[in-house]
Amino acid sequence: MKISAKNQYLWIGALFIAFAAVPVFIHNNYYITILNQMVINMIVVFGLNFITGLTGQMNLGTAGIYAIGAYTSALLSRNLGISPWLTMMAAIFAGFLLGRGLGYPSLKMKGVYLSLTTLAFSEIVRIFATNLIDITGGTQGLNNIPRFGIGPFMLDSNVKYFYFILLIAVIMCVLSIRIVHSKWGREFRAVKDNPDAIESLGLDIKKIKIRAFTLAAMYGAFGGALYAHFNGYITSLSFTTDLSINYVIILMVGGIGNILGNMIGSIVVTLLPELLRFLGDYYQITYCTLVLISALFLPNGLVSLYGKITGLMKSKSTSEGGES
Amino acid sequence: MEHTEVVLEVRNLVKRFEGLVAVDQLNFKVRKGRIHALIGPNGAGKTTTVNMITGDNPQTEGDVLFYGKSISKLPVYARANLGIGRTFQNIKLFSTMTVLENLLIGGQSKTTKSLLKYLANPRIAQKEEQQLKEKAEGILNFIGMYQYKDELVSNLAYGRQKMTELGRTLMGDPRLILLDEPAAGLNPSERKEFIDIIQKVFDQGVDMFLIEHNMDVVMNLSHDITVLNFGCKIAEGAPKEILENEEVISAYLGEGYRKQMKKEAEQNA
Repeated sequence: MKISAKNQYLWIGALFIAFAAVPVFIHNNYYITILNQMVINMIVVFGLNFITGLTGQMNLGTAGIYAIGAYTSALLSRNLGISPWLTMMAAIFAGFLLGRGLGYPSLKMKGVYLSLTTLAFSEIVRIFATNLIDITGGTQGLNNIPRFGIGPFMLDSNVKYFYFILLIAVIMCVLSIRIVHSKWGREFRAVKDNPDAIESLGLDIKKIKIRAFTLAAMYGAFGGALYAHFNGYITSLSFTTDLSINYVIILMVGGIGNILGNMIGSIVVTLLPELLRFLGDYYQITYCTLVLISALFLPNGLVSLYGKITGLMKSKSTSEGGES
Repeated sequence: MEHTEVVLEVRNLVKRFEGLVAVDQLNFKVRKGRIHALIGPNGAGKTTTVNMITGDNPQTEGDVLFYGKSISKLPVYARANLGIGRTFQNIKLFSTMTVLENLLIGGQSKTTKSLLKYLANPRIAQKEEQQLKEKAEGILNFIGMYQYKDELVSNLAYGRQKMTELGRTLMGDPRLILLDEPAAGLNPSERKEFIDIIQKVFDQGVDMFLIEHNMDVVMNLSHDITVLNFGCKIAEGAPKEILENEEVISAYLGEGYRKQMKKEAEQNA
């Protein structure tokens, strides 16, 4: 039993509405911060879903992409006084260039070699960010990254900023859905399904992979820029390999290749550390165990639970209702 | 007949794997309006030859010409776009997708709308998608698969999967189709159906080049036959000539086959 496309969109819509309602009930600034991070993660994972979820190419370079987006927008707006609206566009463009530039050499490689290349890229970005102290501030970081406004309406509080990025997330989600259901989405899935057959059909497999990778880089860089302006402060310490792996975990826990799954994954994986905080020293091991259990028993992620539950309910109701 | 246009020509083709010579100095021509078969014992280099023509595993030496132009340095997808379609010995379908989706991907290289245009105005792309769908449904009707169009490929019987693969190839408007063992794994009734469809496609003006072990299929379909043994061409000609060729009999067909053919000929007479 798979979740139907129509049901999936209903759930996605319901989740977004639920998100919009949360600040009405929760006023704690700390929780609003987590909420912001959750939605930013969602945007990044919508992108990662193209290359790793649909096309099946393991990308461990998300932190590098995210960092480049964050630094591009932060440096341009903070040091040159350019409007963050423009610098965020610049960050997306940086993502585009990165996708194209990095995509070409790395996507020639397959499987684990691709993962290692992207991992290496991410590390290179981090090391540069750490050591180019004059520009990036190194581990001390950059502060005073400006917030911005929509016309006269300043996004000065975390709640206002949250509604802004929630709107962005909705737009990115709609774009994702459109792409997934277009011929490009079909090509992405085809590459994952049977890469050997693609070229004999007159399609350039490298181009398809680069397209997916570029989309991932654009979403990722945008997420990074949103993070920089939200936080007001970035440091190279944030952009470690752990962060890249965290995004892959979000993708896996939610459900690979499924947009609703991406959302659920972002919610669960961003919340988990907070929920497990009471465990203190045992937090990390519990977290890892939970991820492992999810990978073992729900290889298609938490979204697959939906199909299992509705399937169970159906079989129950049919067995109770006799022959219907 | 000898003077019809040459569709595909293979010149002095050599393939070496490390020290092993898999195909040695191979020459043949596939002509317009002819079904050309390549036969030979296991390991003779038949699939290797097909992979050199499609570019999946390019030649060590030699040249491949398609309508007189060298294609031996082109990547696989570029050759496919010139009009060389193929099916695989072990079916290579997109098994998590439906029959219709498989066919749509087969025709996708012909579509032109870019991603940006599509995101800006989905209507243009929807129109294109609709045309692609109509074409796919036409082909599904043609190969008798219309009722399976929304079926997942992995749920289909082997014969139906083979047919789907042929349909997917047809979506790319090929001028020449390379069939790698089309009859392998099919039961007699499926085999007959498949031969009929191949004949039907051929009648529409698509040339065929096939590798096949089943001699009934080869004799029924082909106009020209090339025989390979240990990577070398040992015979070439019309089916009748091949059947009487001593070398072919000793290398591939066997004495038994000749006796059987003789018996059939006597019965017919």
